[in-house]
Amino acid sequence: MPQSNKALRIVAANGEVALIVTLAVVIAVFSGLSEYFFTLRNLTNVLGQASIILLIATGVAVALIGGEVDLSVGSTVAAVAIPLIGIMNATGSLTLGIAGALALGLLIGAVNGYLSAYMRINSLIVTLGTLFLIRGGVYLYTGKRATADTAYLDSFFAIGNGRLFGILPYPAVIAGVVVIAVIWAMRHLRFGRRIYAAGGSAEVARLAGFDVARIKFACFIISALMATLASILLASRLGAAVHTAGDGYEFQAIAAVVLGGVSLAGGVGNILGVVLGVLILAFVSNGLGMINAPTEWQLVITGLVIIAAVALDSLKKRWR
Amino acid sequence: MASTETHDTPGLFRRVMESEHGFLALVLIVLVVGLGLATDRFLTGSNAVAILHQSSLVLIVAVGMTLLLITAEVDISVGASLAFASCIVMATINATGSIALGALAGVAFGAGIGLINALVTTVLRVNSLIGTIAMMMMLNGGVYLFTREAVQNHHQLPLFPKIATGFIAGIPVPVLIAAVVAAVGWIALSRTRIGRLFLATGANPRATRLSGYSPERFKTVAFVVTGALVGLAAVVLASLLNAGQPTAGQGFELTVIAAVLLGGTSLMGGRGTVLGTILAVLILKVIDNGIILLRWNQDLQIIVPGIVLILALYMDQRKRGHHAG
Repeated sequence: MPQSNKALRIVAANGEVALIVTLAVVIAVFSGLSEYFFTLRNLTNVLGQASIILLIATGVAVALIGGEVDLSVGSTVAAVAIPLIGIMNATGSLTLGIAGALALGLLIGAVNGYLSAYMRINSLIVTLGTLFLIRGGVYLYTGKRATADTAYLDSFFAIGNGRLFGILPYPAVIAGVVVIAVIWAMRHLRFGRRIYAAGGSAEVARLAGFDVARIKFACFIISALMATLASILLASRLGAAVHTAGDGYEFQAIAAVVLGGVSLAGGVGNILGVVLGVLILAFVSNGLGMINAPTEWQLVITGLVIIAAVALDSLKKRWR
Repeated sequence: MASTETHDTPGLFRRVMESEHGFLALVLIVLVVGLGLATDRFLTGSNAVAILHQSSLVLIVAVGMTLLLITAEVDISVGASLAFASCIVMATINATGSIALGALAGVAFGAGIGLINALVTTVLRVNSLIGTIAMMMMLNGGVYLFTREAVQNHHQLPLFPKIATGFIAGIPVPVLIAAVVAAVGWIALSRTRIGRLFLATGANPRATRLSGYSPERFKTVAFVVTGALVGLAAVVLASLLNAGQPTAGQGFELTVIAAVLLGGTSLMGGRGTVLGTILAVLILKVIDNGIILLRWNQDLQIIVPGIVLILALYMDQRKRGHHAG
């Protein structure tokens, strides 16, 4: 066990060095191309914008490391904003609104987890199903209209739009704290190690006496709760629960996660790599905007970066 | 868990439930009978034609996706490619005045995207789920670099709208196209040696290689066929909308994949049939149609496939568990 841990750490560390170099190159190139890129204001802006996908990607990564896929996160982002804004508008209480959002997030995670972990239905299919189901439910409930925040709470506005010491956007602070906690938990908590074990080989984990179904169930809960947090930040930025919010986020998150070195096969990966993957994509997108490239180029180049990074990684493995 | 229940069921029912397509056929029959009883507008000739018409676009691409999933690969870019190809079709006809050239350009574009997806998967060794998500992003961006808005019909060829709305021998043209595609796919996959090799590729690539066949080659063919069928569907779509719509394919990939999985094709490769896919597409479209006829909220059209998909896989799992036990 210690030996495999060590090997895992070395592989992960190597992957992270490559990602850090990539990130540095991206930042250096755009700093050369635009004088507005490498400014405190812009860099902190990017961190703020990236924090929403970062939270979602972290949840998706935990599920993937546990050997399961969660495609429903984008729809979840739209869904949990409804009780958040609805309860806040009705009661004027941010705490109750967040409690409502967390409750719905928990329910979604529990449904995904129950069907995947306990009923043993392939999670790609379960969450593809709940992706449709939740989005449809949102359309049905809202009549395809956005619900504006009419409580106008300063505290709620600050979550998405305020800055710590006037510099660092709160979404970046919140995402940073949460993600560091997840990194720590995945490395040092027994539960984190069990997620790796369950994703690496469910059979071996079972023989080692772990309750694999419970571990996988928890992965879906974590993924849904991370999407819920992201939804709260997004709703604060938008000042509304928007029925189309989060559309396609599942693909963006999976792209960043895989770029960050998490294996689709489960059991392998590191949340720190995911952070770097999210940042690389965020800086590429921001930098292209800074040099006035049409926004469509951002999609094209993001796609190329993903293919190049994953191709390099898999070729490297073949040469070894 | 439910073994007592299955043991008590009569023989015929159990045989139907456990046969490869019996369950799907049963679901379809129950839906048709139920909707026929619920509204007298369901069991009419024109409504049947309408359902087949609506099924054709999804079915054309789903046949290719069935082949692809059987080889244990997937293509998420079909929706984005469909929209882009429909713009290419319209722009080419506008430029040349030839429907044949437009159709050719659409199919060539789709097949080209399929080939790139195949190379990224087999040569660069990028997992096809990720590679085709990246392709989807590139096509979504690329289509706007190609055209800022919908490509309108400037040629006004009288034959062009007939591709989507015309009839041959009382059958709508798109239905005819889909039927030919499905028939060819069905026969090729279940009745030919090559079809069995596709199944072998997905079930056991190593054994396939040891038998002297290259799994990569079969995967490449499956990607290119899927891409070409996307191009073919784009011709029908452009005719139907009478324009090339950059946003037309949104969510199409999920509908297609949901149908193929509902049809019993395995995500892990090596198992699947075109007949299952046909039944699944019909089930989903009959449900869509029923929701409209019963004047239910049309947002249910997004919810119901999700429920059906999970339910079908659950039934499948239980059936399999029963066999194993």
